[in-house]
Amino acid sequence: MSNATAVHHDAHDAHPTGIMRWLTTTNHKDIGTMYLTFSLIMFLVGGSMILGVRAELFKPGLQLMRPEFFNQLIGVHALVMIFAALMPAATGFANWMLPLQIGAPDMALPRLNNWGFWLLPPAAILLTLPFTLALFGIGDGAVATGWTMYAPLSVQGGIGVDFAIFSVHLLGISSVLGSINVIVTILNMRAPGMTLMKMPMFAWGWLITAFLLIATIPVLAGAVTMLLTDRHFGTHFFDAAGGGDPILFQHLFWFFGHPEVYILLLPVWGFMPQILQTFSRKPMYGYKAQVYSLWAIGALSVVVWAHHFFTVGMPVPALLYFMYSTMSISLPLAVLFYCWIATIWKGSLSFETPMLFAVGWIILFGIGGLTGLVLADVAADAQYHHSYFVVAHFHYTLFAGGIMGIMAGVYYWLPKMTGHMYNEKLGKIHFWLTAISFNMTFIPQFFLGLAGMPRRIPDYALQFAEFNMISSIAAFALGLSQLLFVYNIIMCVRGGKKATDKVWEGAQGLEWTLPSPPPYHSFTEQPTIK
Amino acid sequence: MKRSFLDRSLWLREVLGLMDANFKIVARPNSSLTSRGRFYVVSILACVSLAVALAFGFIGAWLVLPFAGLELLAVAYAFYYINCHANDYESITIVGDDLAVEKRHYKDTSQVVFNRYWARVMLRDLPSGDQSLLLRSHGKEVEFGRHFMNNEERLALAQQLKERVGVVF
Repeated sequence: MSNATAVHHDAHDAHPTGIMRWLTTTNHKDIGTMYLTFSLIMFLVGGSMILGVRAELFKPGLQLMRPEFFNQLIGVHALVMIFAALMPAATGFANWMLPLQIGAPDMALPRLNNWGFWLLPPAAILLTLPFTLALFGIGDGAVATGWTMYAPLSVQGGIGVDFAIFSVHLLGISSVLGSINVIVTILNMRAPGMTLMKMPMFAWGWLITAFLLIATIPVLAGAVTMLLTDRHFGTHFFDAAGGGDPILFQHLFWFFGHPEVYILLLPVWGFMPQILQTFSRKPMYGYKAQVYSLWAIGALSVVVWAHHFFTVGMPVPALLYFMYSTMSISLPLAVLFYCWIATIWKGSLSFETPMLFAVGWIILFGIGGLTGLVLADVAADAQYHHSYFVVAHFHYTLFAGGIMGIMAGVYYWLPKMTGHMYNEKLGKIHFWLTAISFNMTFIPQFFLGLAGMPRRIPDYALQFAEFNMISSIAAFALGLSQLLFVYNIIMCVRGGKKATDKVWEGAQGLEWTLPSPPPYHSFTEQPTIK
Repeated sequence: MKRSFLDRSLWLREVLGLMDANFKIVARPNSSLTSRGRFYVVSILACVSLAVALAFGFIGAWLVLPFAGLELLAVAYAFYYINCHANDYESITIVGDDLAVEKRHYKDTSQVVFNRYWARVMLRDLPSGDQSLLLRSHGKEVEFGRHFMNNEERLALAQQLKERVGVVF
């Protein structure tokens, strides 16, 4: 019998054009494009917010805004960057590339895919709407509790907290729908011959990400719902006066929040080895070791959450457990670093923009990892907790490790997606400006943290003035240099030198066997993996 | 390109006077996970998610449980849906004077039998520029290959069918 390729949805035979194409599409590439576009827009929105914060922190004293508004900008910046910029970017790549990489005609559940995306814009609107409402005298602005929404502060907060709760619910539903789709697609729609251990690393990264989301999103959903009932329905889950426990919220939040870090990073760890091998013109080093390491990190990520609040007052055995378990993550991560470096070792390297970002990513993300080890130490954390050291650390992991990784992916796959080459010179300038300004923004923050400057404050002691000024100037340079990125993408989408099917000389994988850009229906011909 | 071919174990038989007359093509989706595999995946996800939800439920955060339950229902339904449609297929069988088009969609199996010599193979343009493949005779019309074949496959199959229907070998 013949296994003809399955095109799962007949709606594809006649796809609408114009706005209806985007509203009703079930095509994985259209949905991927929407995710990536949404991500880029929200990246600029979230970035603009933090430039407001950095402007306020340019010098000591209150210059531009009230402390309440400062807090709102910080909290919404984090929520936007994590949930509306970084996660959708990874999901956008999953939509675009997973079917191409595993030889599937589309995602397994295309309508679910459409719903997953279209939940995001309302969620983003809910999150930012209180800013606008406040201008009309409704409410007191957006959520001002920081992205962690710790109780009891969030129980007492204004309507921004309610908006944030509903927004988080929508984002969570979107993530769960996306995860279900990814799991079903990867496990059920691989091309004949593509066993699990022949899957592209990106598929592995996303599969583990999806498992983590399935395991942790209900906890976040439960936590924010409990918060909602505490606020409006007379429950006392987090109210000590009513027999509740505010620290319970921290456990719930970080049970989701710590795996969330890996949810943001695992997809990048998936495609980054592919970029490294492409520009090293070598096979990937240690495929199996990387797969097992990804699984180990995924498993460990759900048992280490309390290192985020060592200082809250836990029994010593708990402190020791969370310290050692957190530090143990460095072992599989070290294996990954070893494999990444071994992949480029003695390779025939060339440094196109994706490779520049990839190599920069290894170094900068390495700094994020190593400073994480410092924070994992209970004794050291007693000093560094809630300081700018933490801020610098997680920006090295999430900006350098996450966003710069995504940028590498954008430059790597943009020619495949659009059929045009981007402006290489502009790409390299973007990399160097980003790398330099990023370091100039956050290296001073390590020292500010070590010197004792607490995070989430609009004003600070005079001794911190110089480093804050450097950090603020560099932050604006970092923000402005992203306009080059946006310009390069727009110009690449609109035209440019025609990209070849393979695009990169050393590219390996099924996606490079398709034309650039790929046809509307990927793999109408079932590929077979040998 | 995928091609039709004879499933010899079932259908090949010599019919006097009908050279190369027997023919069968089956189109069905690719499925890289077995039914058992689907069960294991859902079970693993359910165990992990419920264990987490129950643990938090025991320390007072019982509101995690309904969300875990809802999520697992969605996961289970997705895999159930895939499982239901894993055995979907469309087939054309030509044996002797009969041309049978059989379709299975979930539990529904339908079969339309044409007289091979009267059946007509038609291609109809779709708005996308592709063609749909239709078999028609005596007021009956059946579309074939819309779900599980691409346009090139449908065109190739139409050519093969035209050589086999409406003529006497």
